[in-house]
Amino acid sequence: MPNPIKPDCSVVTTCAYCGVGCNFKAETHEGRIVRMIPWKDGKANHGHSCIKGRFAFDYYNHPDRIRKPMIRDSIDEVWHEVTWEQAFEFAARRFRRIQTRYGRRAIGAVSSSRCTNEEIFLVQKLARAVFGNNNIDNCARICHSPTQFGLSATVGWGAASQHFDSILQADVIMVVGANPTEGHPVFGSLLKRRVRQGARLIVIDPRQTETVRSPHVAADVHLALRPGTNVAVLDSIAHVVVREKLYNEEFVRARCEWEEFEHWAELVGSDRYAPELIGPQAGLDPEDIRHAARLYASGPNSAIYYGLGVTEHSQGSTGVMCLGNLSLACGMLGREGVGVNPLRGQGNVQGGSCLGSWPHVFSGYRFVTDDEVRGSFEAEWGVTLDAEPGLRLPNMFDAALTGHFRGMFIMGEDPVQSDPNQDHTIAAMREMECVVVQDLFLNETAKYAHVFLPGSSSLEKDGTFTGAERRVNRVRKVVEPLAGLQDWEIVVKLMNAMGYPAHYDHAGQILDEIARLSPAYKGLSFELLDRVGSAQWPVDENAPEGTEVLHRERFPRANGRGTFMLTEYVPTRERATDQHPLLLTTGRILSQYNVGTQTRRTANSRWHSEDVLEVSAEDAAARGIKDGDVVWLSSRFGATQLRARLSRRVNPGTVYTTFHHAETRVNVVTSDLSDWATNCPEYKVTAVEVSLVKPAGVEAAGRGEARHEPAVSTGEPVSGREEAHA
Amino acid sequence: MWSELRDLTDAIDVGTPPRSGEMVSLTIDGQPVRVPRGSSVMLAAAKAGCGIPKLCATDSLEPFGSCRLCLVEVEGMRGYPASCTTLVAEGMTVRTESEVLSRIRKGVLELYLSDFPAGDIPDGWSEFHRALEQCGVDTHPYGDGTDHQQAPVDESNPYFLFDQAKCIVCNRCVRACEEIQGTFALTISGRGFDSKISAGQDQPFFESDCVSCGACVQTCPTQALVEKSLFPEGYARA
Repeated sequence: MPNPIKPDCSVVTTCAYCGVGCNFKAETHEGRIVRMIPWKDGKANHGHSCIKGRFAFDYYNHPDRIRKPMIRDSIDEVWHEVTWEQAFEFAARRFRRIQTRYGRRAIGAVSSSRCTNEEIFLVQKLARAVFGNNNIDNCARICHSPTQFGLSATVGWGAASQHFDSILQADVIMVVGANPTEGHPVFGSLLKRRVRQGARLIVIDPRQTETVRSPHVAADVHLALRPGTNVAVLDSIAHVVVREKLYNEEFVRARCEWEEFEHWAELVGSDRYAPELIGPQAGLDPEDIRHAARLYASGPNSAIYYGLGVTEHSQGSTGVMCLGNLSLACGMLGREGVGVNPLRGQGNVQGGSCLGSWPHVFSGYRFVTDDEVRGSFEAEWGVTLDAEPGLRLPNMFDAALTGHFRGMFIMGEDPVQSDPNQDHTIAAMREMECVVVQDLFLNETAKYAHVFLPGSSSLEKDGTFTGAERRVNRVRKVVEPLAGLQDWEIVVKLMNAMGYPAHYDHAGQILDEIARLSPAYKGLSFELLDRVGSAQWPVDENAPEGTEVLHRERFPRANGRGTFMLTEYVPTRERATDQHPLLLTTGRILSQYNVGTQTRRTANSRWHSEDVLEVSAEDAAARGIKDGDVVWLSSRFGATQLRARLSRRVNPGTVYTTFHHAETRVNVVTSDLSDWATNCPEYKVTAVEVSLVKPAGVEAAGRGEARHEPAVSTGEPVSGREEAHA
Repeated sequence: MWSELRDLTDAIDVGTPPRSGEMVSLTIDGQPVRVPRGSSVMLAAAKAGCGIPKLCATDSLEPFGSCRLCLVEVEGMRGYPASCTTLVAEGMTVRTESEVLSRIRKGVLELYLSDFPAGDIPDGWSEFHRALEQCGVDTHPYGDGTDHQQAPVDESNPYFLFDQAKCIVCNRCVRACEEIQGTFALTISGRGFDSKISAGQDQPFFESDCVSCGACVQTCPTQALVEKSLFPEGYARA
């Protein structure tokens, strides 16, 4: 059969990998998905794609997929397959028993940005209306929670100010702590195209990423700062803007709070933020800082794109505020080609943020403590709601260890692998009496679960995703759910089993409910999305088909003005010491996605079969490490083994790895520090030492299994931390 | 920007990227049509409902003008200009169909067919097959080509393969890699009959700088670059 088979059916849907939100035409042949074709009318991707969305879809049909619900009395027992009804019954009974014994607030829920808006909304409804508390959090806690906090505080909304196409009007592009060509490849291609057309490029990143230099693209300035010095460097850039009077006074006077600007200018303008002082601390040439500041301020259109390299720090929220301040001061908001834009990691992180998966706010970022807001939800849902904010995810684990928190519903999320300080998380999981995991695969967290509900992949359900540019895109069912139920149906049935009478005929009715209860989503419906393809929130009577550029006339704050937050630099407590003289920072690679649950089950692993540690030649030579050696990576929190790769991409003093493989257990090493405002973990800075594993130990120390002490002792005991997971 | 020019329900390809600017009026096959200045005659013809056969042109890439299939007649212009690289002008009169044009297009396609696997000519569904159908060509008067038909198939990438035997060297993959993806992993090496698509330094795709974004596969008009998933039994030449 020489010619290829011709697909017989197709459905336009949205990719569930990163936050770009590419539209694809999923083509099937005799009921099986055979290829994903990037959809030309996709407003985020215009017919382009990356290796993940285009090719890595086979995970959906992988033999590891769980197709039957399972329960067990304790986590030491084997799983028993049961019917859906038995599983719901079991979970509901246990949750209610915990609440009777330990109180209403002893259980909680976690949702994921891999879920649709409709599912995320339902899970928070499950916590608030059915559990009767506000113990609801989502994985944005560990990535972009500082974005919501830091941007809301300055420009009013914790979301990208622009649509992606806006970059084609930008004259200066500043990329901070993001690696779009690997993490958000389709947007990365757009960025590179704009740079080839002549836009100037500033990259602030400890590592020489492909964004810094690739064919026909080179950054004008690359500030390869020492991990942990973001705020110092951004304040120093602001210092130059203030001292050299590069700010846009007309814009600040017309659109911002002038007094707050003056306070801010006084702070960042002080001598301690002079590039000549900050440069040496951050490992930078002061002239490069000045050059970056002048470039950014001169525009005329300068746009900021940032990622987890800004947020995942103990001053993550402050870093985001620095970017908000800077764009306000230079008047780089409110039109095409400018703006401050978080690049979101997961398909629906923006939706996860918007739809009330937070312990303190309902959908639309409105506080649970606000009687009027709460009243509107009570009226819609027909129950009285808890007025007290609930527990954040890390606090749930802390409370589990003190015995106050006993049960958890986890949807599409793998906190044991992805959250910091893995051993602490595992200890907390072991304390719980009822953990319900809803997922495609038996993930790491499921090892500590009592109920497993087999979820549906994004190819098996209806709903919407909200991409990084606030774009709400339709997710359409391409094939029938492998386990029989779409994810939203599973949550509804769990609600019903717990005695709450929820009912929806189809996912569109959940979006209708979201629209009734969330101002920014007011005008959204499946009908609208089917007609116009996609729409960027806010969608309301003023913008019936959505809003591409925010802040055109006013900022969504009470007085309509943008404001400046004081961003004093407070160095992280995590710093290089004699015992741990290197700084570890983490990131992603193109072919793998997050903890790899999906992509590791595809041929993408042929490009990236293991996480490697990038080490500079200088640091490697000092430790007798050669390219390809297996090394111990140890911090004061733990140690793990992986292969070293000598790389020019990192400066001496910095090492770098990815976190796509569970066996690498990088999160055993990362610190337990977190953002002062939002608890977002400080994944981007950990003081570590790297040492060669004795050749004899290479075979004995199998990856992900019980290990012995580091072959070359770092002076810190590490083996004790390993036992729980042996 | 796409929606005004394209039918949302099917992937209609207007041939060259849409432009914005003041509107220009012209006549194509007797029909008046208005398009923005800077648009190609091909795009204007698509808007007028006259689909000009094409291979190297697609509306996601800048026009290139290598396949010589989209030739038209323009009043007052010498010869037969390629409609993809010819820009519209106020008052222009274009013919997309004539006996001479049919003969030229047929000749071009016959040459392509002479170096294409004979067994794959019937029952195909690529853009090339559509062009053959549109121009009523299904055979050629030449001897079978010997330049690329025995070349090995590059199956190194887990997701797609490259069969040189079906490549017409239209350059779309090379341009997609540059213009859309920005990786610059592909090039054409050699000259004349020796010319062929090379990844990296003439390496297998998997070992080259290719990032497997799929842009080249998406744009290939002949399915020389094609998803392996469409061959459940594995790939075998006709």
